[in-house]
Amino acid sequence: MSDAQIDVRLAAVRKSFGSVVAVHNVDLEIRRGTIFSLLGPSGCGKTTTLRLIAGFERPDAGDVYIRGERVTPIPPYRRNFSMVFQSYALFPHLSVAENVAFGLRMRGMARSRRAEAVRDALALVKLDPLADRYPRQLSGGQQQRVALARAIVVKPAVLLLDEPLGALDKMLREEMQIELRSLQQRLGITAVFVTHDQEEALTLSDRVAVMRNGIIEQTGAPREIYDRPRTEFVAGFLGASNFIDGTVVAREGDTATVETSAGRASLRGDSAIGQRVRIAIRPERLRMERFDGAGLPARVRDIVYRGPVTHFYLESAGGPLISYQQNAGANEWAVGDQVRCAWDPESAVVLGSGRA
Amino acid sequence: MKSAWASALVVPPLAMTALFFVAPVLYLFWVSLHEASPSELYGAALTLQNYAAVFADSFYVAIIRRTLAVAAVILGLSLVIGYPVAYFVALLPPRRRMLVLLLLLFPLMVSNVVRAYGWVALLGRRGVVNTGLASVGLIDAPLDLLYSTPAVVVGLMTILLPYMIISIANALAALDTRYEEAAQALGAGPVRTFLHVTLPLSTPGVASGTLLVLLLTLSAYVTITLLGGPRSKLLVSMIYDGVTAFQWPHAAALAFILLALALALTMLVLALLRPARVQGTGR
Repeated sequence: MSDAQIDVRLAAVRKSFGSVVAVHNVDLEIRRGTIFSLLGPSGCGKTTTLRLIAGFERPDAGDVYIRGERVTPIPPYRRNFSMVFQSYALFPHLSVAENVAFGLRMRGMARSRRAEAVRDALALVKLDPLADRYPRQLSGGQQQRVALARAIVVKPAVLLLDEPLGALDKMLREEMQIELRSLQQRLGITAVFVTHDQEEALTLSDRVAVMRNGIIEQTGAPREIYDRPRTEFVAGFLGASNFIDGTVVAREGDTATVETSAGRASLRGDSAIGQRVRIAIRPERLRMERFDGAGLPARVRDIVYRGPVTHFYLESAGGPLISYQQNAGANEWAVGDQVRCAWDPESAVVLGSGRA
Repeated sequence: MKSAWASALVVPPLAMTALFFVAPVLYLFWVSLHEASPSELYGAALTLQNYAAVFADSFYVAIIRRTLAVAAVILGLSLVIGYPVAYFVALLPPRRRMLVLLLLLFPLMVSNVVRAYGWVALLGRRGVVNTGLASVGLIDAPLDLLYSTPAVVVGLMTILLPYMIISIANALAALDTRYEEAAQALGAGPVRTFLHVTLPLSTPGVASGTLLVLLLTLSAYVTITLLGGPRSKLLVSMIYDGVTAFQWPHAAALAFILLALALALTMLVLALLRPARVQGTGR
């Protein structure tokens, strides 16, 4: 990947507030034309990371680059970015068109060209009929679109989005996710998206960085993050997971056999014999088989019907397990049944101890 | 339901205002439309003469002009001095800001009369300033500092400036910093962020401070009487003089001219600053 394709780069960036380390030696690279999500619980440092890219915060150490230029000492208003705020921060004293024109005005674009650019931007977010309204006369979803139009009209090197969909209701949020995604792809914008909503991150992003306590635990494509979590935190934060502890007792090619308290299981990987491992298996990958089959023995404790899937809560000697089963055919299990839990070796992931 | 409750809450104060303010004001207007009477509150004949006489008399016109000029100067100075102070007060952390605002309020805890006499003691012919300047040999004869329009302006400023500062500081402190960040994210530097975003968004505070200063200037009496003396009278002084001379209809007409000025200035301020456009839409 050549440097010319990297729109944003953070190099060993550190930021503390008093004694609290908000961002701890973060490195990341964001490719041109992609959406990069910073995902994590509140207080994980994702918003601070975004504000470091914007320049609203200055790093204690490390450097920030936008399009290859080192912007660490440069104030926000001279950096090539724009931003959509969680509360939108539309200027209440300016009309929709004036809000969208603001960035162009500050960049010294001529009035006539400005009007055209504003019209185009508002058309993109389907708000052209509301150009003369004031923000207070708009619904939350409409304000969101204005904020988006105001940010993209200046054609920034990178668009920063700080939980922009957080204030919308669920239906509208899902609609906006898809719209935002298609808009971003059509315009080829590079975007950094901060969210605590894992589904949103998976839906929107080309790459996701999962953050905790100021550290990026894992970066990868949504699928990679979900299917191959490297730490227990990542596995647990993106949906449910079964965690099983064991010791590698045998290896055959790239398949290892793990002895757990509930029995033997197999997994793919390069773990050495004798190594203690914790493995994670997604509930939808945990199969339930008849008790005379192979796998970890367990007992059905609870069954929750959820429409398209049924959640089975199981008890094993190694602790509780969850299995999601598609409701395609008839449900053959009942509470109290003895079952065997099995999975394909490639569905099990060996977790690291922490820092990835 | 909510609006019904809100309306119910508004009824008692509205009734009080109607009974004890609107009705008497209307009566006062009625008085101002009559000729004077040597024995009664007002004479029998209806007339506009009380108003016409004021505007025909260059003495009164000069006083109205002076009143407006004093108000304009005080307003201008309070804005020019008050806004920067308010800006820095608003940047303080909440506890310190509260402390500074209390400090600003402190002069208001002293009676108007006491404060005005304080200025007399400072600015009088044998006051602190004159004796001080004379003792270091800067002046031979005492300066006429007191009983002048500048003395009135200085005296009123010390009372009114805190109103301006507090109004603006509260508006600025309540301002969401995201607006300023949004402006910066769109390429506006500190100066343009202030001019295009901070300043317009602080107009509710500027408007309320401006109205307080203007209206309190127009209605001030103690300060202008004690510091202005007979040569720097304002409209309020003339109303008082009219009343003490038992020229009730004349005083009533002057009162209405003052009220009309106050209303006109209020409308002007609101029309110029349009604070409502940045205020909430109501709950």
